[in-house]
Amino acid sequence: MSPLLHVSGLRKSYTEGDATREVLKGISCEIMQGELIVLLGRSGSGKSTFLNMISGMDAPSSGSIQFDQTELTALSDTERTLFRRHAIGIIFQSFNLIPTLTVAENVLLPIELAGAGSKEDRDTALKVLEEVGLADRHESFPDRLSGGEQQRVAIARALAHEPRLILADEPTGNLDAKTADLVMDILERLVHDDNRTMLIATHDRDIIRLADRVFLLQEGHLTETSKADALARS
Amino acid sequence: MTNLSQQPSPSFPGRLLRRSSRRYLRQHPLLILLSILGVAVGVSVVVGIDLANSSARTAFQLSTETVAGRATHALVAGDGPIDDDIYQEVRVGLGVRQAAPILEGYARVSDPTGPVVQLLGIDPLADGDFRSFAGGPGGGLDLGGFMGGSSSVLMAPATASRFGLEIGSSFFLWVDGRAKEVTLLDMLDPSDDLEATGLDNLIVMDISVAQAVMDAPGQLSRIDLRLPLPIDVENMTALVEDRLPENVELRRAEARSSTLDQMTEAFSLNLTAMSLLALVVGMFLIYNTMTFSVVQRRSLMGRLRALGVTRREIFWLVLSEALLIGGIGAIIGVLGGVALGRVLVGLVTQTINDLYFVVRIRDLDLSYWALAKGLLLGIGSTLLSTIPPAREATRAAVSTVLRRSENESRISAMLPRLNWSGLGLAVLGGLLLWGSGTNIAVSYVGILAIILAGACWTPALVLLGSRLLRPVLGGVFGIIGRMAASGIGQSLSRSAVAVAALTIAVSATTGVGVMVESFRTTVDTWLTYSLEADVYISPPGTVFRRNDSTITPEAEAVIRSADGVISSFSVRTANVVVDNEPTDLIVTEPRPSALEPGRYKAIADYDHREAMRSRDVVMVSEPYSYRHGTRVGDELLIVTANGPIRFEVGAIYHDYASDLGAVQMTRSRYDIHFNDPFVSGLAVYVAPSDSVETVVEQLREATTSVQGLNIRSNRDLRQASLEVFDRTFTVTTVLRLLAILVAFVGVLTALMSLQLERRRELAVLRANGMTPVQVRRTVTLQTVSMGLIAGILSIPMGLVLSWLLIFVINQRSFGWTLQFIIDPMILGQAVLLALLAALLASVYPTWSMSRANAADALRAE
Repeated sequence: MSPLLHVSGLRKSYTEGDATREVLKGISCEIMQGELIVLLGRSGSGKSTFLNMISGMDAPSSGSIQFDQTELTALSDTERTLFRRHAIGIIFQSFNLIPTLTVAENVLLPIELAGAGSKEDRDTALKVLEEVGLADRHESFPDRLSGGEQQRVAIARALAHEPRLILADEPTGNLDAKTADLVMDILERLVHDDNRTMLIATHDRDIIRLADRVFLLQEGHLTETSKADALARS
Repeated sequence: MTNLSQQPSPSFPGRLLRRSSRRYLRQHPLLILLSILGVAVGVSVVVGIDLANSSARTAFQLSTETVAGRATHALVAGDGPIDDDIYQEVRVGLGVRQAAPILEGYARVSDPTGPVVQLLGIDPLADGDFRSFAGGPGGGLDLGGFMGGSSSVLMAPATASRFGLEIGSSFFLWVDGRAKEVTLLDMLDPSDDLEATGLDNLIVMDISVAQAVMDAPGQLSRIDLRLPLPIDVENMTALVEDRLPENVELRRAEARSSTLDQMTEAFSLNLTAMSLLALVVGMFLIYNTMTFSVVQRRSLMGRLRALGVTRREIFWLVLSEALLIGGIGAIIGVLGGVALGRVLVGLVTQTINDLYFVVRIRDLDLSYWALAKGLLLGIGSTLLSTIPPAREATRAAVSTVLRRSENESRISAMLPRLNWSGLGLAVLGGLLLWGSGTNIAVSYVGILAIILAGACWTPALVLLGSRLLRPVLGGVFGIIGRMAASGIGQSLSRSAVAVAALTIAVSATTGVGVMVESFRTTVDTWLTYSLEADVYISPPGTVFRRNDSTITPEAEAVIRSADGVISSFSVRTANVVVDNEPTDLIVTEPRPSALEPGRYKAIADYDHREAMRSRDVVMVSEPYSYRHGTRVGDELLIVTANGPIRFEVGAIYHDYASDLGAVQMTRSRYDIHFNDPFVSGLAVYVAPSDSVETVVEQLREATTSVQGLNIRSNRDLRQASLEVFDRTFTVTTVLRLLAILVAFVGVLTALMSLQLERRRELAVLRANGMTPVQVRRTVTLQTVSMGLIAGILSIPMGLVLSWLLIFVINQRSFGWTLQFIIDPMILGQAVLLALLAALLASVYPTWSMSRANAADALRAE
């Protein structure tokens, strides 16, 4: 079986004044369909940069990112955006909901961007909201929701257009323990019941326990590590 | 899956994105309303001026066309009126059947200062082929009464109603201070609304009645002809050359209306340019609002980009918001423009009547094109000014959540580029001004480039200003003063735009103010040496600056021989054909006093004053010289009663009475070449022992029974001239005020967006113990400082603008040389105006921010 994502020799450096700082120093990895991968690393280790490269939000300095048959590094900014729109779902630590859209509209947005938006699609959005337990709040605006509720909406939004890869950047980082548990339950269901492929940057021990594999990003290098080691580090 | 990246890339945002955008706009109603107001006022001014200009033009054209009727050509005399014997020759001798005699003129109704109407003398028997409104044979008109009565006239029902007249009513028509009683025999019968508009200010009478009313026995203004085929024109041209006197020529009927259109061309263009200024200031306002909306939503746009929204969709999203604002603003602006046009049309008509010709406008000419132009201009300028913020929005980083400080640092980094762009624009403006020759429109584009150059330099100057103010305000107001000054530099992306908008509006005011003051001083000086006599006498004319009425020989004799009058000279104003164009000819008698050398722009190397008396030498005014490229030594072909004669130009003299230009000839040469013994005005010198006022009174008493005349002392005439001058700049003043209004809205918008962005900062200060009064003081100090910077910057900018208006625009529009007078009062007013605008604009944001709940502001973040 060929991998869903194949990353090879990925490098990313930033120029700050006269100095150049290399954040990713030749990363390579493969992710298979249906896997839950956890990405560990200290703050500033380049986890978000790595996720940005995979989602096409940012372009690497060099290296290759092959998503199924598509070579992301060969795409223009617009092509990468269109790729992201269809293939990727993103869950942010700070939720990043659109404040001027209702909960249902936030979930419907990726569907509409992917070219749909009919009555059936609206039903789909409501169904996804039901899955995250927020069907009754679909008419509310994000500022009326608690942090946990906002993150559940963000998860629903990331799932709504049925992306092939879900990227999550510290999805429970801004939540209290009880709410984090609730979000965890949803993620667990997604992985094991729905066979989704996920790459999660996190320090959350509960998520690590769910992972199929754990990658460690350290000083710009990516290595695979055991869950036990990962749990010890977190 | 290879096609994941090859989905069609939609340009326009989807339904949800548009909904999100609308909700954002609804969350900021005041800012959006102010932006709409800015566009609306800008568009109103442009539409208002356009409608006023086009209405004046249409009214004049309609009246000209209605009077011309179906005439294709006209026979006119190059040296003045045409003899009515020539009509007999054309009709009987040449056998031209479709010919009609016309005598045209103007009169005042009821009293010497009453409303001006156009008089049209016709021969109803010959006129049926030309004009239908007068009835003609077979029409309903009582021909016997019309031709037989010595005082019968016709007018449209609307005209009669305006003057409170009914059929059978008698009233007076005043021409050149002489009254003639006439009777309204019947009403004209316009065939449609267009003709009714054309007839609105017309009184029609038999040609013999017209000759009596206008005291022009045996004279015609022209002979209308119908020559529908080219062969007819050829035959007629040959006949005119062979059989008619040399001073008679064949002209196309429409030539008259186009000549008069050209008269007001420069005047209309300058008004249009002034009106566009308000729109340019409005564009800054839109730029500011849209930049604010983008900056405030940068993180939101970053989120959208992360979700797969393309840069192009973001670009169109911002542009569609601007389209909504611009669309609403433009619609309101067009409606407002119609209302403003109704006010401005009066002012524009007044100026045209003072300077060029008589025109009466019954109603605004609401052409769909003018309204559509306003809509397009409003929406177009809004979209144009939104392109930079829309492009800025597409650059919202998808992977980070930016804050404004990053935007500010980028603006600071852009300062060198902005300064260089400013330099580039200034050079471009200079090149356009230098290379545009006589093209006024291109000259204005050059001025716009220079204004934009000033706008590009504004951020750097605002930064410098805030740094200079910091120690000063800190010294007086302590930490609050330092915070206020620093805040301007820290929020450069907002403050610079607000200051630039205010600077442009105020500098335009200063520029126009200095130009008008310079112009006024120049005219005042010119009047001082032009008005040498003690008393000036002229018949009441219809156009202030072009009085070709005549003083009767009886009145002239009474005046010249009156007690207290030691000497006098006459002036005759006639309209003759010079180099194939109708031109004002000023005929003067030698004046007793020596003329100032400063009167001339150029003189021949011989005694031109003596030459003008002894041979065919004339002078031309500076505007004439400019319009026709005439130089000293050139020759002009003037159509005289003896046929066309070449005159040499002996001098070019300064003249601010008319921008159309004039040719000056001595009376002795005029008497040789023209059969016109009349004078249009008399200038009288009073014996030093007599009081001027007493002589004026005596002259009034002596002439009352002979002719109603305007008899004014030197001082009164000078004052009246300056009053007309001031009146002609009333429209300009109104436009300046409206540009300031837009700038004020711009500053208010900028301040509100600034303060909205500072909500959290001010909330933190409030949380740390700053009182509402201190918050108010900080905000007020900051806005007043911005006003001060704008006021100071507007001085050099205003002086540059005034210099360009005086030495480029005025020179190219009218050919006048003006002095450059800088009145410190005007410069002081500029600073005060900017301060006042900023202070007023700060009232609401200050009040709002001092009342804001600190906890709410902090929570909202």
